[in-house]
Amino acid sequence: MKKRFHARGLILIAVAFLLILGACGQKEQPAEEVTYRLKWLYNISVVGDLWAEDHGNFARNGLKVAVKAGGPEKDAIKELEIGHAQFGVASADQVIRAVAKGSPIVVLAQLFQVNPLHWIYRPDRTPLRTPQDLRGKTIGITYGGNDETIMRALLAKYDIKEEEVKLFSVRYDYTPFYKGEVDLWPLYRNAQAPIIGDKLLKAGERFDLMSPERLGIKFVANSVVTTQKMLEERPETVKRFMKALLQAWREALNPENKDKAIATVLKYNQETPEEIVRKQLPATRVLMLPKPDSEFGKIDVAAWKQTEEIMLAQKLIDAPVHIEERLKPMVDR
Amino acid sequence: MLSRRIYQFFIIYFLGITVLFLIKYVLNLSDYVIPSPLEIWQTGRHVFIRYLVNVIDTLSIAVLGHLLSICLATIVGIVGRLTIWVGSFIRVAAYNIQAYPIVAVAPIIFILLGDGLSSRLLITAMICYFPLLLSFIGIFSEPVTEIEHFYEATMRMNWRLQVKIRAFENIGKITTVIVGSGTLAIVGTIVSEFIAANAGIGHSIRMALYQSDLAKILVALFLIGICTSLYLVCLERLGLVVQKRLQST
Repeated sequence: MKKRFHARGLILIAVAFLLILGACGQKEQPAEEVTYRLKWLYNISVVGDLWAEDHGNFARNGLKVAVKAGGPEKDAIKELEIGHAQFGVASADQVIRAVAKGSPIVVLAQLFQVNPLHWIYRPDRTPLRTPQDLRGKTIGITYGGNDETIMRALLAKYDIKEEEVKLFSVRYDYTPFYKGEVDLWPLYRNAQAPIIGDKLLKAGERFDLMSPERLGIKFVANSVVTTQKMLEERPETVKRFMKALLQAWREALNPENKDKAIATVLKYNQETPEEIVRKQLPATRVLMLPKPDSEFGKIDVAAWKQTEEIMLAQKLIDAPVHIEERLKPMVDR
Repeated sequence: MLSRRIYQFFIIYFLGITVLFLIKYVLNLSDYVIPSPLEIWQTGRHVFIRYLVNVIDTLSIAVLGHLLSICLATIVGIVGRLTIWVGSFIRVAAYNIQAYPIVAVAPIIFILLGDGLSSRLLITAMICYFPLLLSFIGIFSEPVTEIEHFYEATMRMNWRLQVKIRAFENIGKITTVIVGSGTLAIVGTIVSEFIAANAGIGHSIRMALYQSDLAKILVALFLIGICTSLYLVCLERLGLVVQKRLQST
């Protein structure tokens, strides 16, 4: 009896030893390296991307991702084609322009469900009850920018002729708006409105935001893109990247992780005060998850089609590109 | 002189374009990254007149800014040649201000002066002013001993005469610096328009950049190159005329 027990023990030890040996023999797979080019500088609009890097979402999915800041002179689509990046963030108009010129890119997820571009105005001075109230107003636009396209689409939708408004060329200096020379000024609702709104409130002035989406203009903003080649040749990498990224975004936007998300932004962007980032985070959440049942990253095909139609109507592209064929959603929970 | 400048520009421009096309076709890049020759041609036909007007607008500001900076540099150079503390202060101030990149100063100028003509003019002048000033201070501070000694010995020397002697003796250098700074004047104007103005070719380039339209940018660069060459040839000719007149007198 004792001998049998002893033999069993020996077998168990031998099995355990073999298992350990087997585990040691397996080489650990090195993390796959990819580059992810953002649309803009590190700020609240990229909180999920920063979270993925900072909280190990990419690493847990076997990826080593270089998350690179964007900027006015950076174009993720061009970098994807040249091969300097494998994933990137681009606005819908960039994507549609690129597709119109034969760029082999595909859209994997739509970050903003509501375009963050809004127009700030003072309701006391510039009451806007209906879109028709835009007549006679001085409206800020960035010539050549998204806001110009959106505003022109808005004016066309409500049959307001360009001569009936005064378009004012805007840059980074808000002085003309503060001085009241311009009635409506374009800004990003999540990133800039908390800063500008705060200044107006301190000066004792009320402000409101005009949302083009509420007035029927759906113009898609930032989306995650890659190349068709990447999707065909490295589908597993794309899948793991998207899984990590979407998971990170959901975690970063979860109200329970509010403090951690703010700390992540502040770690990468020390220029913006914490109290501002605290206001920016919920504003970002509303744009990315506008309804309680909103699914993060979902591609709004109808909005993409409308974006293409707007660009076609304004002759920003020569012919239809059938953008819906380039939408390859990689959103799964 | 004119044809040499122009064909030199053509060689450089078309070499650059050829390199771009080589990259495009070797790497199989789409027209979004690098436009095709046909797209550049079509874009050129479409925007040529508008861009030409913009380049002429830019050039007019550049010429004004250049003149302004020559006047400023001459005045400050004359004062800066003095060995007393005012001259020393001006020299040190000029060197220190030169250290600030214009892109950092430009937003302040635009906030204070708005994005109209005055801002563009000032930034243009600032960009081409410093190289001029440094040369002018150097030229006006360096005595021409063999000539000045005579006037000093006969007690007939005054500051006007001193400046005239030094300018006359260094007219070749002055001409070269003025011609050289002509390019900077155009660059300065384009930079100022790119940063914040609402007119000129720099503004058009910025808009094309917003739309990732490299074809428009290449057309703009072509026109800028042609106009810059023309302006520099004019300056060189003017310099030669002035030199010849001075030598004949």
